Amino acid sequence: MKKLILTAAALLALGSATQAQETVRIATEGAYAPWNFLNDAGEPAGFEIDLGNAICAKAAITCEFIINDWDSIIPNLLAGNYDVIMAGMSITDERLETIDFTQNYFPPDPSLFVAAAGAGIDPTALEGKRVGVQGGTIQAAYAEENLAAKNTVVSFGTADQAMADLAAGNLDTIIADGAYLEPVVAASSGALEFVGEEVMIGNGVGAGLRKDEAELKTKFDDALTALKADGTVDKLIAQWFEGRGPYFAE
Amino acid sequence: MSDDFAFWLSYLTNGKHLTWYASFQFTIFAAAFGGTLAVIFGLIGATLKNSRFLTLRVIGTIYSSIVRGVPDVLFFLFFPLAFEQGVEWLIATQVCSPEMIAAQSAAWPPCKDANWFLGTPEYLVLASVSLGLVYGAFATNVIHGALRSVPQGQLEAARAYGMSANQVLWRVQIRQMWVYALPGLSNVWMLIIKATSLLSLLQIADIVLWADRLGAPNFLPAVGLVHADWRWRYYLVLFVFYILITWISEKSFDAIMRRAGRGILSEAR
Amino acid sequence: MDRFIAELGLFAPAAVFNIYFALASIPLGFVLAVFLALGKASDNRLINRLSRGYIYAFRGSPLFIQFFMIYSLALSFNVAVWKPMGMSWWVLHPLFIGPLVLVLNTAAYTAEIFYGALRAVPRGEIEAARAYGMSRVQQFRQVIWPNLIRLAWPAYTNEVVFLFHATAIVYLALPVIGQQKDLMITAKELFERDYNAFLHFSVAALYFLAVSLVVFFLFGLVYRRLMRHMPAIPRMRYAPTWWR
Repeated sequence: MKKLILTAAALLALGSATQAQETVRIATEGAYAPWNFLNDAGEPAGFEIDLGNAICAKAAITCEFIINDWDSIIPNLLAGNYDVIMAGMSITDERLETIDFTQNYFPPDPSLFVAAAGAGIDPTALEGKRVGVQGGTIQAAYAEENLAAKNTVVSFGTADQAMADLAAGNLDTIIADGAYLEPVVAASSGALEFVGEEVMIGNGVGAGLRKDEAELKTKFDDALTALKADGTVDKLIAQWFEGRGPYFAE
Repeated sequence: MSDDFAFWLSYLTNGKHLTWYASFQFTIFAAAFGGTLAVIFGLIGATLKNSRFLTLRVIGTIYSSIVRGVPDVLFFLFFPLAFEQGVEWLIATQVCSPEMIAAQSAAWPPCKDANWFLGTPEYLVLASVSLGLVYGAFATNVIHGALRSVPQGQLEAARAYGMSANQVLWRVQIRQMWVYALPGLSNVWMLIIKATSLLSLLQIADIVLWADRLGAPNFLPAVGLVHADWRWRYYLVLFVFYILITWISEKSFDAIMRRAGRGILSEAR
Repeated sequence: MDRFIAELGLFAPAAVFNIYFALASIPLGFVLAVFLALGKASDNRLINRLSRGYIYAFRGSPLFIQFFMIYSLALSFNVAVWKPMGMSWWVLHPLFIGPLVLVLNTAAYTAEIFYGALRAVPRGEIEAARAYGMSRVQQFRQVIWPNLIRLAWPAYTNEVVFLFHATAIVYLALPVIGQQKDLMITAKELFERDYNAFLHFSVAALYFLAVSLVVFFLFGLVYRRLMRHMPAIPRMRYAPTWWR
């Protein structure tokens, strides 16, 4: 009897598990404009949402976007809560140990330091400063390695929360993706400025997948190759990141 | 002035805000379902604690004391994750072949086919069950105490009428117990309401997550209204919302207690 | 088993943060609670209303929301207030704002306990004190307070245990600075690495359970001392109840 119940429960769960295979679930953070954010309608929008939909249309698969916090986005991919991550995630060797990436859909992009205008922050000689990062990002790892000894590294759940603390003067500087910061600095009407040198970390942004999803990875890679060739990726980059690209034109 | 009003009205009724308002349903569902389960687990726990068999008594006591000795957040996170893993392990014993297990690169699940997909509805149910389990432990204590508060004379009278032990328990003791349990249960209910604020920790897009997203500063016109950090205003709304819910619950419990207490002598009144 | 012991060691530094949060907020919360309880019992309408409202608001809303709200509120005052005064670096630090919110929260719960005890102080004793011609301060110090603390102690013990449990959500709501991580964050991070929910969460739970037992033991000793005049000293048992 007990065995029977166990089997029944297992089959029931299995039913929902196999059913889940039909649509590809793409996780995004929804707090990293213009990469991905929640628009006024309360739905995911942004560069990666447009691109993801284009990829799925090309590969003839049904896709669905799911919002997941950044700090648990890789664990929940591995745990099978969704199949793909498209959340402005840079391809790094460390991440490649646990997950796979498609080819990049955004080229390697320098990370930048941003600070309040006129604060006189010099990133090459940071000492005793409060440096904000989004936890679990490549910049967080960089700051932990290079800046933590002499400064205080404060990590936040989302990049927006870090920006809020910078704007409120609780941080001296933030290090983050250039493509995320550029529009923010441009829109700050002179209140924020870039300081110091660019830091090159990461190998471009790609979509993350579980290692055993070779089939899905091929589908995504093929679709990306086609979309790069026909200029769709460049068009979307130009649309969402002013003055960027074209990167993939022949 | 009227332009301002029209602007704020349209801002507060845009899709993002409507989604926020709609997300209150998750909180309310978790509270209602979690509360019901807490009473059920409380009844089971109290029955175990009152049992004639030592093993059952020990189980009841361990349940109510261990769960209460651990922070609710911890158990709240642990239970859904552990339950998911338990089910996946169960599926794995049925579907995974040794080759599939060997081919699995991630630490969990054992093999790819054993994965159990959990979305918002599933997590919401699991979250409610863990609320029920945590606060069921508190309810166990409340109900256990209330069962003992039923006057002995009532039970003796029931026995004298020739009722069996089960009849005494169900027809007399448990029915009269509610009056004594209500003040304690109302307290447990208040705890459950407050614990529903933790839903976002299980990736449920609840009121807290939306308050954070709506209040976060926005710099880009393409994204929506450009504004500074407004989070504390949104959290203030939630703060007031919870106080209101507490107030309503308190008034309702008062009314129920007045009704339930009719005809029963109690020192409290 | 070796892994379990290694894990215990791994969590020890994290437990320090939880213990710090509790220790930093208990004394202040206690003092604030006494004033709030007296305020709630006060005949002065304004003081009465304010204390009542404060206690109601902080008992009626989740601590999780209080954390978010007070942190973002404090942040919004940074440019205008904290920064010019040079207080910015500690006002917004989790090691300060964490205990601050915990104090505000526990003061409300504790005040309610003290208020209940205050109302239970035998009237006859107060009347006797008045008949002796004691001043109000004397009445409070000689008669009301000793009664109050004895009546409130078991419930207060509970509150302290709950306060310790509440420290679990500090870093779930506030930014994490460097490697300053408490039990909960440590367990979550380790879980996200290898999915061993049973190991990591149990070890964290064990720490919470152990400290709860220590609190019950220590507060039990104090209770015995408070009740030393009684013929049979009541024993305090490990029993977190629903008082919160």
